[in-house]
Amino acid sequence: MKVVIVGAGEVGFHIASRLAFENKNVVVIDKDPNAIRRISDNIDAQVIVGTGSSPIVLEEAGIKEAEILLAVTDSDETNLVACLTADILSPATRKLARVRNADFDNYHETLRENAPHIDTIINPEIEVVKTIDRLMSVPGAVDVGEFADGRIKFIGIRLDEGSRLAGLRLSKLPSIISESRPLIAAIIRNEELIIPHGDSRVLPGDLIYFICEESNLADTLELFNKYADPLKRLIIVGGGRIGYRLAAQFENRSVHTKLIEKDAARCSQLAEKLNRTVVIHGDGSDQELLAEENIQDADVVIPLTKDEETNILVSLLAKKMGARKAIARINKFSYFPLMSTIGLDQIVSPRLSAINTILQHVRRGKVLSAISIKGEQAEVLEALALETSDIVGKPLKNVGMPKGSILIGILRQDTVMIPSGNSVIEPGDRIVLFARREAVPKIEKILAVKLEFF
Amino acid sequence: MRWRYILQAVGILTLFLGLTMLLPLGVSLYFKDSSIAPITKSLLITILSGGCMFFVFRCPQTEYMSQREGMAIVAVGWTVVGLFGALPFFFSEHFLTFTDAFFESVSGFTTTGASVLTNIEATPEGLLLWRSFIQWLGGMGIIVLSIAILPFLGVGGMQLYKAEVPTPVPDKLKPRIRDTAMTLWKVYGAMTIIETILLVIGGMSFFDALCHTFTTLPTGGFSTKNTSVAHFDSAYIDSVIILFMVAAGINFSLHYQMLKGKPLIMWRDSECRFYLATVCILTLIVSVNIYGNGYGQLGRALRDGAFQVVSILTTTGFATADYETWPAMSQIILLLCMFLGASAGSTGGGMKCLRIMLYFKYCYKELFSLIHPHAVRHVKIGGKAIPSDVMRSVLGFLGLYMGLFAFCTVLLAALDVDFVTSFAAVAACIGNIGPGFGTVGPVENFANIPILGKWLLAWCMLLGRLEIYTVIIFLVPEFWRK
Repeated sequence: MKVVIVGAGEVGFHIASRLAFENKNVVVIDKDPNAIRRISDNIDAQVIVGTGSSPIVLEEAGIKEAEILLAVTDSDETNLVACLTADILSPATRKLARVRNADFDNYHETLRENAPHIDTIINPEIEVVKTIDRLMSVPGAVDVGEFADGRIKFIGIRLDEGSRLAGLRLSKLPSIISESRPLIAAIIRNEELIIPHGDSRVLPGDLIYFICEESNLADTLELFNKYADPLKRLIIVGGGRIGYRLAAQFENRSVHTKLIEKDAARCSQLAEKLNRTVVIHGDGSDQELLAEENIQDADVVIPLTKDEETNILVSLLAKKMGARKAIARINKFSYFPLMSTIGLDQIVSPRLSAINTILQHVRRGKVLSAISIKGEQAEVLEALALETSDIVGKPLKNVGMPKGSILIGILRQDTVMIPSGNSVIEPGDRIVLFARREAVPKIEKILAVKLEFF
Repeated sequence: MRWRYILQAVGILTLFLGLTMLLPLGVSLYFKDSSIAPITKSLLITILSGGCMFFVFRCPQTEYMSQREGMAIVAVGWTVVGLFGALPFFFSEHFLTFTDAFFESVSGFTTTGASVLTNIEATPEGLLLWRSFIQWLGGMGIIVLSIAILPFLGVGGMQLYKAEVPTPVPDKLKPRIRDTAMTLWKVYGAMTIIETILLVIGGMSFFDALCHTFTTLPTGGFSTKNTSVAHFDSAYIDSVIILFMVAAGINFSLHYQMLKGKPLIMWRDSECRFYLATVCILTLIVSVNIYGNGYGQLGRALRDGAFQVVSILTTTGFATADYETWPAMSQIILLLCMFLGASAGSTGGGMKCLRIMLYFKYCYKELFSLIHPHAVRHVKIGGKAIPSDVMRSVLGFLGLYMGLFAFCTVLLAALDVDFVTSFAAVAACIGNIGPGFGTVGPVENFANIPILGKWLLAWCMLLGRLEIYTVIIFLVPEFWRK
């Protein structure tokens, strides 16, 4: 499979590295020779210095043989024109574009059906707002993914000292909780991903990823010593596009939202557009201001400024002053491994969100959604079990699952099953898989290899 | 630097080298010659050592290889391959010392073609084939070959590729390095088949045709005859070999693009144009020069002139005439050809046409800016501006090349080698040509060089083949600092 990526920024770089690792043919186009150098030094991909919207450059990149075009530069216009040019040169290529301007929000359908024929428009800001919303809905969660239209949740939680699970062997799990127990898919301990067996133990401080049904969520969270608190008071720091979107979304719910923004002109703009949100002009890292706005009573503080160092400091400050929870926006991937050391587990990144959404669309076969977890070491995939696939029609213990992957959920019509060795997947089931990065190509293969007969 | 990881990769490479010895073994079994025992012994030793190395240093697969590690794998890999490749020579009675065997082996892998064998025709066929075959392996790059066919090198493929095939302006034919390596080897393989057939048609035995093809395409220059290609004395064979030497001196990605339906690509590429023009012009000058001096017939002068110029310029090193009897002007032109070399991305050695072109264009730019101090002017190749860091690395390369050449010449002269020989031997080895002037001329060989001199020259060949940086980096103290 050939993928042409326009834009070698953070998003382009990470997608290229993921796809190249999975042995796909990747061509990256960017006009900045330094960004291109970073790709060619680190990634097994072809590189072209040039403008991605130019037909000559796209031809040179071999757009005609490409299955997918990803337009992910920082400029909406370049991305749209790149898709338009590609549409003229090679109508068969699927096109994905990153478009951030909110004016386009209502026109995604139109752009799919008309001229540029962009199959998917990704707005990282919308994705980030969704992610923040999910994180807030699950207390204590570091990572929340949804499958099967939200009926299955994939949650990452750090295990506390006080939890009943701390120090337990997984095989002992049934003795603690009788039914509808969560399926633990992975444990991250000291930045290392472990796929647990029956006799693996979970230790305090581990980041535990598990699958559970939405209906059992509250019970499961209790196991982790986390209790759902109603969200009443919210403070957002930074009134950029994401801050505005988030505030606007919470206007309809009975949440008391305060939005702190540094720039006076932007504040007056925001105050004009927002009705119930209290817009405050000031510096979010100013202790006095935070105290004045009763930060100690805030349920969640969300620093969303463009400056990630500020976001980190505001989060720490807010927590110290008594806020119950902080979700920080962080863009630099190199900071991610530090976050748990600092004590900030809940972070969002527009880029990571964009990467997740894009990957989901790049996946071959009938993959319905895909979420990559911390540090991109592993991925959770939701897929449709095709009649022709190797995994259908026999007990799971007889299915040769690739090393480093496990099946964590089966959905048949409206029931959700946590699979055991004797479960049989039927055609048309939706399955949820967890796979280490190395296993992803093999998973894709067993899901889709026979699809190519059609 | 993860030495375990590096040695594991080198282990696999050694194992792979052991397997390639099956081909000469087959040949020696077919001819029932005296090299069966030495080759079998070397095959077993190489496979066992490679296996042990891989087993002792095995480590979990990683996802990342630094440029430094890539360079270390290539440099260590080539040295180790040179050592094990010397075993079949060492175990046979045709080489007196291990130094001789090692020299011959490195000369093979680096496609130099400098030999210490005095009576080549007395050497068994199995060894002769191995001698040619290692040139063929080394020409396109044994590590590039491993990238193409061994999946384990996928991760650091790019780093290894850059360390083994360093071109000033790298071009990747396919998005993935494995596919690129595979494509290059396919083009190489196809050309091998065609040349072998053409030579057989010209009346060579299949064995000779194969051996000469194995040494033409990598611009190697080992022959199976004492008098090299002159032995056949056929205008047809001369012209086939000239044609393929010229082709081997062209960037292989151009061959690929031509086969892909771009017939004019060779003419459009400015380096290739420069290279082909140089070949034609120098051939004419040399032929005219020798026509008046010793050659009676113009046709003969043209044939020998063309063969020698192409052979030296592409750094092959075949000979059909003793150019040491030619007029001084022709000799000096040939000497300069040793430095010029073939195109970047070809199998030839030397400084490469592209670098020389860039150098001249840079000089012109400097002169130009003396006249117009405020002018903005780029060094351009094929209409595209060359980034200044590429230009810097080219200038650095040329400086290092000349510096190392001078340094090694002094060292060789210090070992009591005469003036002309030490000068020409170093030039011929660092440029991967083979024959030089003086006592290492086209009708003599390197047997008389002192032992230390042979080790020095073998190192020069590695320097030339891996284009200086990959080898010299080991001598920089910063490389070893943690």
